[in-house]
Amino acid sequence: MEFRSFKEIEVYPTRDLSYDFLGIHFENPFILAAAPSTDNVDMVRRAFDMGWAGAILKTTSVEGTRVDLCYPMMSTFDHEGKKLFGMGNIDLISEHHIDKVEYNVRMLKKEFPEKMVAASIMAGRKEDWQSLVQRLEEAGADLIECSFSCPQGNIGEDPGKMLAQSVSATELTARWVKEATKKIPVSIKITPHVTDIVEVAKAVKRSGCDALTASNSIQALMGIDIRTFSPYPSLGGRSTYSGMTGPAIKPITLRTIAEIARNVDIPILGTGGASTWGDSVEFMSVGAGVVQFCTVVMHYGFRVIDDLKSGMSHYLQEMKFSSPVEIIGRALPNIVTHDDLPRRTIRSHIDEELCIACDLCVVACRDGGHMAIDQRPSRIPSVDHERCVGCGLCQHVCPVDGCISMQVVP
Amino acid sequence: MNVQQARIESERCLQCFDAPCTAACPTHIDVTKFIGMIRSGNILGAAEVVKTSNALANTCGSVCPQEIFCQSVCTRAQQDSPIQIRELHRFATQYERERGYSIPKVFPKKVGKVAVIGAGPSGLGCAYELAKFGYDVYVYDSGRPGGVPRNSIPSFRLADDELDLDTKFLSQFFALKRQTIDAKSFKNIVQSHGATFVAIGLGLDRSLGIPGENLKGVVPVLTFLEKAKAKPRSMKIGKKVVIVGGGNVSLDAAATAKRLGAESVILIYRRSEKEMRVWKSELEEARAQGVEIRFLTNPVKVVGKSRVTGIKCRNTRLSKKKDKTGRPIPVEVQGSDFVLEANAVIVAIGQKIKADWLGGIKRTSAGYIKVDDDFQTSLPGVFAGGDVIAGEGTVVQSVAHGKHAAQAIHEFLSAK
Repeated sequence: MEFRSFKEIEVYPTRDLSYDFLGIHFENPFILAAAPSTDNVDMVRRAFDMGWAGAILKTTSVEGTRVDLCYPMMSTFDHEGKKLFGMGNIDLISEHHIDKVEYNVRMLKKEFPEKMVAASIMAGRKEDWQSLVQRLEEAGADLIECSFSCPQGNIGEDPGKMLAQSVSATELTARWVKEATKKIPVSIKITPHVTDIVEVAKAVKRSGCDALTASNSIQALMGIDIRTFSPYPSLGGRSTYSGMTGPAIKPITLRTIAEIARNVDIPILGTGGASTWGDSVEFMSVGAGVVQFCTVVMHYGFRVIDDLKSGMSHYLQEMKFSSPVEIIGRALPNIVTHDDLPRRTIRSHIDEELCIACDLCVVACRDGGHMAIDQRPSRIPSVDHERCVGCGLCQHVCPVDGCISMQVVP
Repeated sequence: MNVQQARIESERCLQCFDAPCTAACPTHIDVTKFIGMIRSGNILGAAEVVKTSNALANTCGSVCPQEIFCQSVCTRAQQDSPIQIRELHRFATQYERERGYSIPKVFPKKVGKVAVIGAGPSGLGCAYELAKFGYDVYVYDSGRPGGVPRNSIPSFRLADDELDLDTKFLSQFFALKRQTIDAKSFKNIVQSHGATFVAIGLGLDRSLGIPGENLKGVVPVLTFLEKAKAKPRSMKIGKKVVIVGGGNVSLDAAATAKRLGAESVILIYRRSEKEMRVWKSELEEARAQGVEIRFLTNPVKVVGKSRVTGIKCRNTRLSKKKDKTGRPIPVEVQGSDFVLEANAVIVAIGQKIKADWLGGIKRTSAGYIKVDDDFQTSLPGVFAGGDVIAGEGTVVQSVAHGKHAAQAIHEFLSAK
């Protein structure tokens, strides 16, 4: 018998994940980053209907700015069977005219007054930055994000150099933008490609801008075809450097956010490598107030919001947190300098019950550690506590959860 | 599956869009969604997804023949092997069992009264869905809720406590009334509720219609399975058992007979293996347990004085003509008679409706209740689903009947 299509009636109550951040009400911590997913108003509508709390519309610029795209623009860094471990793009800003983006902001705010609708902008001259901000604020944007860090080269300034790589230019430009706003918050989207991220963050703080978006994609060469020597993505055999996003850059972003949060008192919109609710918790625990998503949506679609919300709800319940706000900054006190780390004597311990006798720890320790794990006829390895220094390598090559642990020697 | 095994398996899932597995599941569990949740470590969320769609989530996690539903259409099979969907489903519900249950919403009962007769998979599936719509639901059954899974699915396939988890979870959504139905009470129920869903299953074994069927030791399969489940210790079975039939129930009987200590268990079936309507995994399992299967064999007469001592059989061959089910008709081969020794003969050739109070409700040519596309019977306001409309099916199909009938009932009552 053929069944009619079925729309499930929710059986479990949805948990309130809402809170205020930057003076804006967010129904949950999950928003869409300025990217292809936010360039089309129908796509944003669909995302909002599915439960995303907000969107930063794809970066726009002033009239007359040439957006000279090349195709294909996407490439990936696949790792051991996993597609899109990293994603590279040589995309540029939105091709939409500012009039269109302004219209989109207006439409979306009218249809979804409870959602956060932000616009991302990029310009060269002071008057351009300022006119963009004014028009978009007027249109009803809740927040302005300024891309100081598009890795495909900035418009106006030094070609190939990003605005956020110069502390003084960052401060000056951020000041222009902030001056032009009436009341909405401004966030500066920065790059981790700097010698000292803290200096950049301080410059933004001095400018009077309200927040930082940390951080943009990582400049990368996505790969080379080893037979034709064409780099990826191949455009008739040629290519250029990409901006890499996705799970591969998560640890870089985490460090960037943490480093800013530890040193500068400024709200942070976390972005760059978060795919799951668990990643979001990590981002927030090092200081992000909300988390932006892009690559995971480009891979699996807006539907990932279901798990983001559900997973976050269960996590809050497990941790007995009343709101996502309680996560923000919680890991920061635990990030210290190398000097301040505890010095303890620890040794590797293998749980022989769990061990599956792959002996990967043996070879890793033999050739990359301290030759402290011995093979045995049973193939269940044994750790020599005289030679083991407790580096922890074995624990990380072990394929079995919880099999190898590092134990403190009293 | 442990947490790590489940995560590794879930990471194999391609997360197809508009996934075929979800379409193939009769209750349309959002498979990619719950597997994605296992992958992200949100296992309680995964359990909620499964339980939202399937009223008997724990039961189906144990007994659902994934080889014919979700798993049979898994896209990943085109690359290497299908995702073990049922195992992941089971992992999620088991995890919830260990970690504590999510508390469901309370659905306000404000729309009207609906009766469900029969607390088997189909009745429970319907009652659960009706409760979600806001109906005040009364489920009538003469025994404990659970139907076939409770009474005759052998406990080695389905542990009783798995089913209890489902019935306990469901009990918060509707009122359960222990009552035996007759013509008068049926009429009363129909009159006092906005709509009635009949989900009474079958319950009466078909007989062979051959001489000697009344001898001691000839047991209808439901009687056998119900007894074996209710009183496994005191149950006795002879050393040599012959089972007549070719469906999953006959395999359950064969495996049960083996477990009760029968030395030889022979299953006779009048067609060939290809025509058998069984899950291949259960057939292989029966063979591995030493059950002998004789195809193209028809019973002619049960032999014995007061007790059965054997069964006289005749070989068959398949003719080119096909019956209504699309399978070739077996024809007896004259002069091929032989006798199989037996202390017990279990008759598992199908079931029919036991209830005698259905009155003038129209039947199909096979004797089941006739329903339209909306599960409505010839009696307006009376709907039916599960085995009673389609013959013996799977638990999940029955749950789905109930679930989809509930939507039709909702539309029927909304239009009133």
